Amino acid sequence: MENPIENLDPVYKNKSYGQYREMLYSYDENGNFQQTVCYHGEPEKVVLEQAWDLFNERAEDAKQKVLAGKVSPIAYYMEKILADPLGLSMMAGVSLWKVKLHCRPFFFKRLGEKTLAKYAEAFNISVEQLKNPE
Amino acid sequence: MDSKSIMINYTHRQAGHCESGATSNLYNFYGYQMSEPMAFGIGTGIYFSYLPFIKLMFAPMMSFRNLPNTVFHRSSKYLGVDATVIKKFSNVKDSMDALDRNLEKGIPTGVQVGVFNLTFFPPEYRQHYNMHNMVVYGKKGNLYHISDTVMEHPQTLTYDDLVRVRWAKGAFAPKGKMYWINKMPKELDIKKGVELGIKKSVYEMTKVPFWLVGIKGMRVMGKDIKKWPKKHGNQKASFYLGQILRMAEDFGTGGAGFRYIYGAFLKESGQKFENAVLLDAADLMGRTANKWREFTYIGARNCKNRSSQPEEDYNTLGDMMLEIAGMEEQVFKKIEKLKI
Repeated sequence: MENPIENLDPVYKNKSYGQYREMLYSYDENGNFQQTVCYHGEPEKVVLEQAWDLFNERAEDAKQKVLAGKVSPIAYYMEKILADPLGLSMMAGVSLWKVKLHCRPFFFKRLGEKTLAKYAEAFNISVEQLKNPE
Repeated sequence: MDSKSIMINYTHRQAGHCESGATSNLYNFYGYQMSEPMAFGIGTGIYFSYLPFIKLMFAPMMSFRNLPNTVFHRSSKYLGVDATVIKKFSNVKDSMDALDRNLEKGIPTGVQVGVFNLTFFPPEYRQHYNMHNMVVYGKKGNLYHISDTVMEHPQTLTYDDLVRVRWAKGAFAPKGKMYWINKMPKELDIKKGVELGIKKSVYEMTKVPFWLVGIKGMRVMGKDIKKWPKKHGNQKASFYLGQILRMAEDFGTGGAGFRYIYGAFLKESGQKFENAVLLDAADLMGRTANKWREFTYIGARNCKNRSSQPEEDYNTLGDMMLEIAGMEEQVFKKIEKLKI
C-alpha cells in the first residue's frame, strides 16, 4: 500500500469537534484501498452531537431532581460520568441493589464514610463535593 | 521513583485501528516489515456481534471487532513469535513495576487501557470503552512516553494518569493487562499465518452456533432496525441507530467498522501470493465496505432530525443491513475453502 494521503482541511473549526485527525481507509473504483489522514466528516459529527446532547440532557435532568430533593447526588454524578447503575456498581464496588437504594436521599443520608469514599473514588471527586454538589 | 530517563528508539506510525496498529508497530520495531492490514487479518480482528440485552451507553451493544488482545495474541501464535501476555495483575504497584522493568530492558510494551480518563484523547470520544490499546516506549521521571496509534503524534502521560487508565473499572476492565514480544524467529511464515487467520475468521463470522454472532447477528440486527420506531418511538430509534453508526465509524476503526482494513488485508495477501480468489474476495469486501459507508450517510440523516418524522424509512435501512449481511456472507463463502 502507498503512503497515506494527507488532508489538511478541517471540516469543523469549532472547539468540540474536528480538533484531531484520524486515519481513514477508502476503496475506489479502480480496486485500490487508500489511506487518508483527515478530520471527521459530517455523519460522525451528527451522531456524536446526538449522543452528547442526550448525555448532557440526562445530567441536567438529574441535577434538577437533586435540587428538588427527589434523588441523591449519587444519581447526578452517575449521569455525569455516563454510567448506569450496573456500570457504577462495577466501578465503585458496591452491589447493584445497594446502588439503586443509595440513589434515594433517605438512604444516602445514612451512608458511612467508607461507602462514600468508594463512590467518591469512582466519580474522581472528594467526599465533600459528593455531599454538597454545586 | 528514580529520575532515570529511558527512551527506546521506537517509530510511531499512525494507524486506523489501535490494536493492529500497535501490533504492526511492534513487529516493525523488531525488524520485520508488517503493514497494519496484515496484522489485522492474521490476528482475525474482524468480527460482529449484536447483544441487544446489554446496554452500553444507554443503547444496545454491538461490536465490530474481536475481544481485546486477540489481534496481538493470535498473530503472534500463528506466526510463531515468542510473545508474552500478562492477563491481569493483583495490584497496582506490581503492574507498574513490571512495566518499569520492561522499559529498563529496552522492550516497548503494549498495555490495555480504558479511554474515559485518557487525558490526550479527543474529549468527544471519551466514553466508557475499556478495550483501547497503546504502547509505552519511554520514561522520564514521572512522565511516560506513549505511542497511541490512533493519534497523529506520540503522547505523554503522568504516572497517576497511567495508573488510572490501566486500572479503569467497568465492563472488560483491563486490570493492568500488558503484552510484549520477547524474540522474533529468523523467518516469519506469512503464508501459514494468512491461511490460519482466514480459517479462524471464516469460522467466527459464519459458523459460530449462536444467533447473535457473525452474519447471523447482522441479520437479526437488520430485522430489529425495522421494529425500532414502533417499539421505542422516533427519538429512541434514532439514538439506537446513532449507536450503530458511532460503533462503525468511531475513532480507531479505519472507517466502516474495520471492513476496509480487512479488504486491504485480502488484497495485500492476494498480491503477495498471486491468488485470484483472494483478489476477487478483496474487491467484494471493498464494495461491502462502501455499502457500510453509504449506510452511515443515510442513517445520519435520521439522526439529524431526531424526534421528528424520520427522513429515511427504517424499513429501507433494515433492508440495507440485510443486503450488507448477504454481501459479507459471499466474501466468506469465497475464502472458505482457500488453498494458497
